Amino acid sequence: MKLDRRRFFGSAVGAAATAAVAAKWTWPKHSVSYKRPFASVAVLNANGYSEKLEALLLDGLRLFRLNVAGKSVLLKPNLVEDLPEPVNTNSVLIGAAARCFLRLGAAHVTIGEGPGHQRDTELIVQSASLQHHLADRNIEFVDLNRDELKRVPLKANYSGLHELWLPRAVLASSFIVSMPKIKTHHWAGVTLSLKNMFGIVPGMKYGWPKNLLHWNGIHESILDICATVPIHFVIADGIIAMEGNGPLQGSARKLEKIVLGDDPVAADATCARLMGFDPLQVLHLSQGNRFLGNLHENRITMLGEEATTPLLPFSVLPEFQYLLASGTPPFAARQRSG
Amino acid sequence: MDDKVSTLVRVLTNRKLPSGGWSFTGSRQATVEATCLACLALEWEVQATTISAVQFLLHSQLNNGSWPAFHGDSEDSWTTALVLCTLNGTGEFASAREKAFHWLVSERGREGHWFWRWKFKTADRKVRFDPDKYGWPWDSGSASWVIPTAFSIIALKQYAVCNRLEASEKRINLGVEMLLDRVCVAGGWNSGNSVVYGVPLRPHVEATAIALLALQGERRSVVIDKSLEWLKLSAANIDAVSSLAWCILSLFVYQEPVDGLKNRLLTLIGDGRKIHDNATLATAILALKCGEMIHPFVVLR
Repeated sequence: MKLDRRRFFGSAVGAAATAAVAAKWTWPKHSVSYKRPFASVAVLNANGYSEKLEALLLDGLRLFRLNVAGKSVLLKPNLVEDLPEPVNTNSVLIGAAARCFLRLGAAHVTIGEGPGHQRDTELIVQSASLQHHLADRNIEFVDLNRDELKRVPLKANYSGLHELWLPRAVLASSFIVSMPKIKTHHWAGVTLSLKNMFGIVPGMKYGWPKNLLHWNGIHESILDICATVPIHFVIADGIIAMEGNGPLQGSARKLEKIVLGDDPVAADATCARLMGFDPLQVLHLSQGNRFLGNLHENRITMLGEEATTPLLPFSVLPEFQYLLASGTPPFAARQRSG
Repeated sequence: MDDKVSTLVRVLTNRKLPSGGWSFTGSRQATVEATCLACLALEWEVQATTISAVQFLLHSQLNNGSWPAFHGDSEDSWTTALVLCTLNGTGEFASAREKAFHWLVSERGREGHWFWRWKFKTADRKVRFDPDKYGWPWDSGSASWVIPTAFSIIALKQYAVCNRLEASEKRINLGVEMLLDRVCVAGGWNSGNSVVYGVPLRPHVEATAIALLALQGERRSVVIDKSLEWLKLSAANIDAVSSLAWCILSLFVYQEPVDGLKNRLLTLIGDGRKIHDNATLATAILALKCGEMIHPFVVLR
């Protein structure tokens, strides 16, 4: 075949573009690593949101021998809209978690969230019936969209943002607990403990929704945020989860599980497996495995029952069929997400 | 009611920061949104307080005419429209207002660039909207959204009330078209995504109230009537202070009865001490004063 100038130029441009895409995800862009040799995860069975959750959760938390004595604990639930189950992390679980951390010796517990769509946070707090869980004087709620802000350099550079303004309540906390609702997500594939951290980015600076994070890449922004504000523990609400067109318009899926983990990547990978997904197909999890935690099962110690693949995986939009455990290979997923 | 409103005014006045502005919730960091709403709520009646607040706003203006979201930030934000609304009421500070006006006329959502319009028309159709109809972003570099667009329309309409310029009229009309395009299927607005993956999303009270304020004076259409009906129905069941206050402010300009809503709002806020968010408290005061003062977001065209 004769290689003329036009064909040579086209091939060179194509090769450069492919190399650029590959390089983006091949070269590490993080200045920190929270990855330990092994992670611990516990999957608790719970068939409803009742007062019994507190005892169950406390038993589960004690498996991890957490040292939270005297610490300022921030619980970061996923409160998105003033909509009924299964959109938000259930307030019974949030309240139970707050009381558990106080019983474990936390100095005080703050529940903080900056909803990404609904500007009136009070409306969501009312709709979620969270107020009566705040009766304890050591538990307060902070609207992270409107808290005092400090400029923080990011400790990873996947998004190109370099810095973000972040709320004082988050930066002042010594123990951050991400409490996602286990859901599918129409842009990111899944929304679990890492994606849940979008809620610490303040709407007062970045708007509703936090559009800047979307323009700079959802997976990339997740990695940068979680590198900068490390998650110390995960309590994922999968008692009633969401499948299909999440995070707002999907269907309820009774999973009847709470997933606890001392490593956010391990906890999210376990959630993904419980959903019937291959965690390697979720770009922020496969990349997070480099420095945010452990994705592979042989690095995760299960405290209690094993995470089993469901007989029927969570339904997903056609764009996310590749997430299914028997789906397409990882590289195809990376290309689509990138 | 007057005594109770006076109590609320006192609570808000006492929360002013030494810088002259207000924070949202008890910090030392003044924010432009809370300061503007407080200024409007105090209605220039607490002279010393509002004068220092205006000084804070004037000092916070960036060189390009815009305002940041809060003290310490140096990037443009949607709050420029809210400051222009605030200063429009004074009839003074012509230079600051003119710079803000020119910045608003030139600012646009990212779809304002042909490349992104082309992308949204061809490759990215997950969210249903017409990218040719764009408005204003929350912060420079992101797409157009309903609330910043609505406030920008109000600010430009107020500023240009006696002197309609071609450039601003063009932006106002485009912004109005954007709002009408982004309306939810059953009426009302949310942040700006009405249909995603073919599924309609629900409207939000605050966005609907503010969008309707921006559409006052526009030709009454099915979109406006449906949205107004939705807002009236929602207002009857809202117990969140900020959303209820915005309902009152919006329904009032459409000459809907608001006395019942004002009484409910008054019950919800009590003496105001439990309303920690100063922007919310200020909006509530504005709503309670509806009919007794010049509406800060009214547009006379």
